Amino acid sequence: MVEKDFELIEHTADVGIRVKAKDLVGLFSKSGLALFQISAEKLPAKDKEKHKIIVALKANNIEELFINWLNELLSLSAVECLIFEGFEISKVDENCIEVVAIGVDIKNYKVNTEIKAATYHELKVEKTGSGWVAEVIFDV
Amino acid sequence: MSSIQLEKIDDFRWRIPKSYKPGMRVPGIIYADEKLLKDIYQDKALEQVANVAFLPGIVNASLAMPDIHWGYGFPIGGVAATDIEEGGVVSPGGVGFDINCGVRLLRTNLQFEDIKDKIKDLVYTLFSDVPAGVGSKGDIRVGNKEEKEILVKGSKWAVAKGYGTQDDLECTEENGAITGADPDAVSDRAYERGKAQSGTLGSGNHFLEVQVIDQLYDAKICDEFGLNLGQVMVMIHSGSRGLGYQVCEDSLRTMVNCLHKYNINVPDRQLACAPVNSPEAQNYLNAMRCAANYAWANRQCLMHLTRLAFEKVFCMGWEKLGMSLIYDVAHNIAKIETYNINGKEKKLCVHRKGATRAFPPGHPALPDRYKRTGQPVIIPGDMGRNSYLLVGTEKAVETFYSTCHGAGRVKSRTAATKSINLNTLLKELESKGIIVKASGRGTIVEEAPQAYKDVNDVVNVVHNAGISKRVCRMRPVGVIKG
Repeated sequence: MVEKDFELIEHTADVGIRVKAKDLVGLFSKSGLALFQISAEKLPAKDKEKHKIIVALKANNIEELFINWLNELLSLSAVECLIFEGFEISKVDENCIEVVAIGVDIKNYKVNTEIKAATYHELKVEKTGSGWVAEVIFDV
Repeated sequence: MSSIQLEKIDDFRWRIPKSYKPGMRVPGIIYADEKLLKDIYQDKALEQVANVAFLPGIVNASLAMPDIHWGYGFPIGGVAATDIEEGGVVSPGGVGFDINCGVRLLRTNLQFEDIKDKIKDLVYTLFSDVPAGVGSKGDIRVGNKEEKEILVKGSKWAVAKGYGTQDDLECTEENGAITGADPDAVSDRAYERGKAQSGTLGSGNHFLEVQVIDQLYDAKICDEFGLNLGQVMVMIHSGSRGLGYQVCEDSLRTMVNCLHKYNINVPDRQLACAPVNSPEAQNYLNAMRCAANYAWANRQCLMHLTRLAFEKVFCMGWEKLGMSLIYDVAHNIAKIETYNINGKEKKLCVHRKGATRAFPPGHPALPDRYKRTGQPVIIPGDMGRNSYLLVGTEKAVETFYSTCHGAGRVKSRTAATKSINLNTLLKELESKGIIVKASGRGTIVEEAPQAYKDVNDVVNVVHNAGISKRVCRMRPVGVIKG
């Protein structure tokens, strides 16, 4: 069992997560991975090929960037039929992110839950004394 | 847990006064009885009813149906109408990501006696022939040009392809295609997400159920609809799949950024909106209508596959099996409708998020066959209890002709997963004569009856409040989940 890098937040209809990290690289990376850890479980590898996709996003503020990031991953996952397993983040600040997202074919996973989108409802992306914390509700 | 003090209007209506929060333009009205209120108080849905009351141009009240529960932005079970001439807005969060998630109900000529020894065979055939589950792809594949055609023609496209009849169109809200859909308003990414998903059920709370009528409430209307005790029915619940999610996401991005431009203040960014007459709102409505039409085409295709599966199991044509559509209704949509407000005809933008349109007898938008009875209203329950057929009433004008859309969740998915044992649940369902097949075993637990309010209580409220009227009740015998 892989230890999860996030906590679940109770929500009646949907699913929420809380993620803590020492910097923005960790926050965006852990949150991106959480999406797929919630929805899919890995099967014994059928195919080891890794697919790399460049993601570059801009936004007016950190919260908008965070939501756009998660929704971009969901959208790419659906279109490219990939599950993302890792991220090489070359640049991230409060207004932009540049990443190489590393995914494998969805057939390597059993997908149990469909996450439709990340929402702004009760969204929190904050700098704390020890790093960053984010809370987000997903529509499932 | 909510601390809002509700004012009792009557046994089935409760008010959040406008004074509850500075910024509320109208009060909140919740349709519920004391039993359901206990559940409603457990989460933040009431706060969301109050938040919706901030929307510019909102008319009369921010409304919530008895299946209300905590969503994002709007509560699920929320209804809000805004006056377009008075700067009324449209909010993508008031429709949701799964645009035109909805449900359709088919009748058959079969009685329970005819299928009781074949239920397993029927459920397994449906499971094998109707694509379900996350990432499932349909056999109904279309090219780019044809996909645009689906977005404009909706169910009409499916019928033209041979996946249904003119009668099906007459029995679908908006005849299966809302006007004003503009494929150019839909992003390339949304097209990409929708391309392989025509004729697929999806996952989560989407389902296909074989049901049996176990209670008649209005014998006259049942006669008109051709329904009787013990009759086998089929209910299909699905939406606009990835295409709809992307349309919502694209427009939310725009609207979050134009709040300032239109000087709009909402307490939750998921309520981001724009005046209906603004270019941002028009673009959203044009794209939302495309997604709605995609969903109607999708449910039409799903029904076609269902009819073929029945043909396979019963070795008889679907027409001979009497598999005609009772009705198809949207649950998540924004519509421009005309109402008389304080003596004036007004064009309103009616948001129904987890709510069903319920037009009364005589409404001009209804086909002749339902002019006398009112619009059929289909209320799915959970996989272990009942579902209902109701009709719209004139009294529902107080809810902009809206009623509930289902049972409504009461337990989170994580709480359900922690507290419910899959094998025990499956045995319980089997002991009630309910066969379940699902792509994900986790989905069965998340969608367990214990995770939902009792739909009987929910329907009791809308019936007694007079905003729709019970016709008959069904019980499930076979369930396909994504």
